[in-house]
Amino acid sequence: MSTAFTARVDAALADRTLKIAIDRTTGTARSKRAAAVAAWPHFQQARALGRDIKAHVTANLAHYLAEFERNAIASGAQVHWARNAEEACEIVIGLCRQAGARSVTRAKSMLGEEIGLPHALAEAGIERVETDLAEHIVQLAGDTPSHIVWPALHKTREQVGELFRANHADPGALASVEAMVGSARRQLRAKFMAADVGISGANFLIADTGAICTVTNEGNAELTTTPPRVHIVTAGIEKLVPSLSHAMSLLRLLVRSATGAELTQYTTFHCGPKRAGDADGPQAFHIVLVDNGRSKMLTDGLAEMLSCLRCGACLNHCVVYRHIGGHAYGGTYPGPMGSVLTPVLDGLETSNDLPKACTLNGQCQEVCPVMIPLPTLLRGWRDRSWREGLEPATVRGAVWAWRLMVMRPGLYRLATRIAVPMMRLFARRGWIAAMPLAGGWTRHRDFPAPARQTFMDQIRQQRGQS
Amino acid sequence: MTDARSAIFAAIATPSRPPADIARAASALLARVPALRPDRVGDDVAAAFFARVTGPAIGASGAKVASLSDVPGAVGAYLAAHDLAARVAVQPHPALLDLPWRDIVAHRDIAVDEPVAIGIADYAVAETGSLVFRSGAHTPTLFAFLPLHHIVVVRADGVMAWLEDCAAAESRLPAPRNLNLVTGASGTTDIEGALVRGAHGPGYLHVILVQSPL
Ligand code: SF4
Repeated sequence: MSTAFTARVDAALADRTLKIAIDRTTGTARSKRAAAVAAWPHFQQARALGRDIKAHVTANLAHYLAEFERNAIASGAQVHWARNAEEACEIVIGLCRQAGARSVTRAKSMLGEEIGLPHALAEAGIERVETDLAEHIVQLAGDTPSHIVWPALHKTREQVGELFRANHADPGALASVEAMVGSARRQLRAKFMAADVGISGANFLIADTGAICTVTNEGNAELTTTPPRVHIVTAGIEKLVPSLSHAMSLLRLLVRSATGAELTQYTTFHCGPKRAGDADGPQAFHIVLVDNGRSKMLTDGLAEMLSCLRCGACLNHCVVYRHIGGHAYGGTYPGPMGSVLTPVLDGLETSNDLPKACTLNGQCQEVCPVMIPLPTLLRGWRDRSWREGLEPATVRGAVWAWRLMVMRPGLYRLATRIAVPMMRLFARRGWIAAMPLAGGWTRHRDFPAPARQTFMDQIRQQRGQS
Repeated sequence: MTDARSAIFAAIATPSRPPADIARAASALLARVPALRPDRVGDDVAAAFFARVTGPAIGASGAKVASLSDVPGAVGAYLAAHDLAARVAVQPHPALLDLPWRDIVAHRDIAVDEPVAIGIADYAVAETGSLVFRSGAHTPTLFAFLPLHHIVVVRADGVMAWLEDCAAAESRLPAPRNLNLVTGASGTTDIEGALVRGAHGPGYLHVILVQSPL
């Protein structure tokens, strides 16, 4: 493991507050999801349908992209294309400048984080107001999101209270979570109405109408996308669905898997700009379609990952995520889905620790609402890291020696016959607490003492007796 | 820009199939839906909707009235019960503006901090307990987001069973700028996963189900 990753993990493990914060939110999320799934007898068939809808889109991606573009333009939207993060940010900043924007409101979008939009807006000198409560907390803390559904999951209520007291104009007593939410509501109210541009992501792009779908519980997306003159959407090209009906099937899966609710409080389809005679809405509607590695995933054996709905269930159920939290992963997307995506986005050389920091227990695949085989995809990265020679020489050497030995049964038996009694010398009451060369293991847990004889010797004896 | 577009299409390079084949495959997927939906509607869709929206998961309050002319009375009762001033923003919809508001001061322009607004949903979905608003001249999107108390009128004969019924109805109409499915009052679980109402949108949702057709 690289030292940077190990250092992040060590820091996370040493942070007791972090563990409390993670447990509080992911615990609630797991039990609510379990209840929602238990109340749906056909959940497994529904997951298979979800997987098949997304696979159908991926298999016909060019067709649906072209259809979406055609219908979006017909509805009055302007469609832009970005190959990578830089192009996407350039387009968004250009549109903001063109609108003479001094202040933009933003509704949480993981794609926005992925392309580095917060940073790009700051560089352009444009005021950025994060409107999702968690993103607001993250912005005040000068932090990054640590979960794709609950970006501020790493903060306890006590820490949020401190941030609001220091930054809000009218924080009040902040004695409860209710009071904190109220303080944020007062703080952001006027900002919503004063923004020149509102920026959102999209949970779905509806091919047959050119609409985009946002889902929120707070109502911040609509308050972000309605009052300003300009609404800009940034969305990954994989977010397509053939029609509104197909979106409904995926919404049932997405929301239950994310929060355990049947539908988010606000599920909104935005199609084109304000119509003539409409009471409100933006005059201009721009959709920026972003590739940023997605087309490459199609040909690189990662097509299944393009089905991801960003529900966060695989994070909430991951034993590793629950111990180290999101920041230790070092990428935009944490947890199992992040360990598959980060090598695509940041390169395998700097992120090959992530696919290895996985127990392959399969929980993530079991809860994924679209049945993405996450462990298989992670193993794919491990293979690739090996093939591309990214493993350190010590590891390669050790595996080479292992291979040499296991291919020679006589040598293998001799070595184990020597090793077993040696190991037993270090054992106390059946467990080894410390032993030369095994510090990496025994520092955190004991190692079980081996049986008196090797497996092969025992078999041979038993055969001889019978 | 066109460069980026053609580069992306070139990189995708999915085999091109006849559009009719793709459409057939897409509708075959939808044919599987009715057999696997969570069975939660029953015969009386309006009753199922009302039970769901006022049930513990969504937590809105609700009242049933016989006809539209009973709405001002129901609004008055809600205001009294919550100790609110008799002043409401009324969604600029003819069905509401024409009602006899009597001692309730009704105004049309909604303020950023409007205490109470009354709106009318175009229809509702029983499966999820959702109110559906189609933005337009009579339906400003912000009406469903700015007030602290949002009172919504919906007609019993405007309740549909499933989300797919909503999609089917929309496919027959020109798309509005916003199609809003509102399922309960605004809420957040962003601080330690605890649910708190009234995040940015309304903190309270009150549904008035009108039994008779208009
Ligand atoms: S990989 Fe599956 S479980 Fe994880 S976020 Fe994506 S859709 Fe959800």
